[in-house]
Amino acid sequence: MNLFLQVIAILAVVVGTLFSVVGVVGFIRLPDVYTRLHATGKVGVFGVVFLLVAAAFGEPLGWGRGLFLILLLVITGPATAHAIGSAANRIGLPRKGAERDDLVYTSKSKS
Amino acid sequence: MGTLEIIFMDILYVSLLIHIVLMSVAFYRVWRGENVIDRLLGLDMLSTLTLAVLVLLSLINQRIIYLDIALGLAALGFVGMIALAKYVADEQMF
Repeated sequence: MNLFLQVIAILAVVVGTLFSVVGVVGFIRLPDVYTRLHATGKVGVFGVVFLLVAAAFGEPLGWGRGLFLILLLVITGPATAHAIGSAANRIGLPRKGAERDDLVYTSKSKS
Repeated sequence: MGTLEIIFMDILYVSLLIHIVLMSVAFYRVWRGENVIDRLLGLDMLSTLTLAVLVLLSLINQRIIYLDIALGLAALGFVGMIALAKYVADEQMF
């Protein structure tokens, strides 16, 4: 295998694992549902996409499926995050540390 | 087998171990969550980490079929998350 592609695959695996660890630590430590949603989006988009970049460079036949899976994840990740955030807003979960609620008329609890 | 491929295999096994530990953490948050949206977030992250484990297994074994399984899991996880979020928000599915 080519040396340059091997180095790119090693760096992509390391960076993707670091993004996954940072996302899960944020999912444990952050105080609110909405900020936790911000942390878990990093696992879905950056962590798996960097591993798929490693699969596209490091595997001899896997670049087509790797690129297609990257495209699918980049499209479906923000849609899933928006659906979960909209559900949390509509059942009226509170925001911690917010000075002002701009979406007060769309949530169920305060209207 | 060159020395760079041995380093790559070691990094892949360490990354697989880290992802399995992260999956256990996400499963604990699904089991003892604060509210329903928190458990839904944990389920979404568990699905994503399963995808990452499948990609790592495909890199370790040099088998292309794990990427096909990951493709099916990504599509089914997307549809399931959208349906569960709509059910939680509206208390009906359709």
